[in-house]
Amino acid sequence: MKGPLRFVGVLLLLAAAALGAAAVGSVTIPPGRIPAIICSALPGLKNLVKSAWPQVERVIILQVRLPRILLALFVGGGLSVSGVLFQGTLRNPLADPYLIGVSAGASLGAALGLLFLIPRGLAGFGFLPFFALGGALAAAFAVSRLGRRRGRLEPTALILAGVAISAVLTALVSLLMVLRIQNLQDVYLWLMGSLSGRGWAHFTLAAPYILAGLGAALYLAQDLNVYLLGEEAAHSLGIDVHKLQRNVLVVGSLLAAACVAVTGVIGFVGLMVPHALRFVVGAEHKRLILNSFWVGALFLLLADTLARTVFSPLELPVGIITAFVGGPFFIYLMKRGSGFYG
Amino acid sequence: MAKMRLQGVSFAYGTQPALKEVSLDLHPGVFYGIVGPNGAGKSTLLKVLNRFLIPQKGSVFLNERDLGTYSLKELAREIGVIPQRSQYFPSTVEEVVLLGRAPYSYRFQRPSGRDMEIAKRAMEAAGVLSFASHLVNELSGGERQRVTLARVLAQDTEVLLLDEPTAHLDLEHRIRTARLVQKKAREGVSCAAVLHDLNLVSNYCDYIYVLSRGELVAEGNPEEVFTPDLIQKVYNVSVPTLKHPQTGRPLIIL
Repeated sequence: MKGPLRFVGVLLLLAAAALGAAAVGSVTIPPGRIPAIICSALPGLKNLVKSAWPQVERVIILQVRLPRILLALFVGGGLSVSGVLFQGTLRNPLADPYLIGVSAGASLGAALGLLFLIPRGLAGFGFLPFFALGGALAAAFAVSRLGRRRGRLEPTALILAGVAISAVLTALVSLLMVLRIQNLQDVYLWLMGSLSGRGWAHFTLAAPYILAGLGAALYLAQDLNVYLLGEEAAHSLGIDVHKLQRNVLVVGSLLAAACVAVTGVIGFVGLMVPHALRFVVGAEHKRLILNSFWVGALFLLLADTLARTVFSPLELPVGIITAFVGGPFFIYLMKRGSGFYG
Repeated sequence: MAKMRLQGVSFAYGTQPALKEVSLDLHPGVFYGIVGPNGAGKSTLLKVLNRFLIPQKGSVFLNERDLGTYSLKELAREIGVIPQRSQYFPSTVEEVVLLGRAPYSYRFQRPSGRDMEIAKRAMEAAGVLSFASHLVNELSGGERQRVTLARVLAQDTEVLLLDEPTAHLDLEHRIRTARLVQKKAREGVSCAAVLHDLNLVSNYCDYIYVLSRGELVAEGNPEEVFTPDLIQKVYNVSVPTLKHPQTGRPLIIL
């Protein structure tokens, strides 16, 4: 299939999934009605459709389900691209924002923001991504420092450093929660990784960062392809290896931080999606990044739809679903032995 | 005029010296063999020539200009490198060879017809054209090594630095690779290869640098360098040598 045709196909697929997700829930809404409801909210199109639906359905679609669906798509895409970047630079199939400690850094940053600034009215909600980003970058740099041998990134050392840093940061988050007990419930739910109750504010907060991160990732794609050959070969082909590693850590952390700031820590998406796609589309980074974005988006949307419907009216944190799929997938990767970067 | 020149270069990993006061020249059109026991500093020497490592003392010149004054991209158009270890991943042979054209391309630019043509010729020369559409991570060790050779040929540089380019190759491809490098040298390229097979060096290289414990201990053409005395001194084993029946070059009997 040609590029543009494939692009339209992917959009249609995502739209169909979104339509299905918008239809199901505590109140089932006929899918045929949903496009009309959405059109009724768009400036140019609202006169074209007749409003023939209960007002409550309009509210559910426009205020509850649509922003949550869009957020799931963007966060799923963002986490996956973040995973592509980390796996590409660290040349380690285990690398994803969750395992190398970037997510933990982001959650500590965001927890600090939530716990200390918001109750005092010092910071609006809009500052949260900055706190998360600060935490994510600090963790990324600490881990990349500790993961070096003789000045070169060493995949095994890096994962070990990530695990250690993650443990310390997660303990700090727990400590903060205990010390500031009144907000414990909020933070705890947020750390579980969930899209529950997220609205337009969350979407508009995270989406620009995720789109910027996607653009930056595509900008780095060609250099990452060369970097796959190894540090010395990449250097000999004109790539400033240290600069590239730094840029990739920053962009990957930005993507992870934007996601963690609005949904909490959702693990395994950034690990699984790029990995599975490498089998299908190969290691070329432009292809891998674009495909990871939409597959990750679709995956998280499906997981979130399951999370809110399977035990309805009880909602599961989506992190539980992704972990249920991700855990076994991880064991599968371990068992088959990943020959990708050997 | 020397294409590359090393002047009093010393390099240490932390406190461990790897090169001590090494001075040498690489001239155009010459195939250099770099030999010496393990840990002699051979790979370090290539990394210094490629600015992957910056020496603590001494200078490196390319075209009589300090190596540090080149941009990385300029360097990549002058010097091609086969590192000792390469990484392999699920890309096709052709995609990997085309990465050799990266120093000539701009971001978001697709490979031009000329790039494709150069990559094709490189694949032909390295004998990998017949499996151009295969994934490199599914190839054998020797095939991968020839893909790396094709990649560096596609880079089209005036200097070639090769770190054990024949390590995993069978007899046929070992000789083919040596002949290919020799041919590049005849076309005017400065070629320097770290090789462990002394007979291969003796038969194909024009000039030999012998390193031992970070020092340049001997240099010259094969007849001058490969004497039982020197091998005894450098490798600490006693071996007899013969003359090659056709080329007259020294042969080392293991």
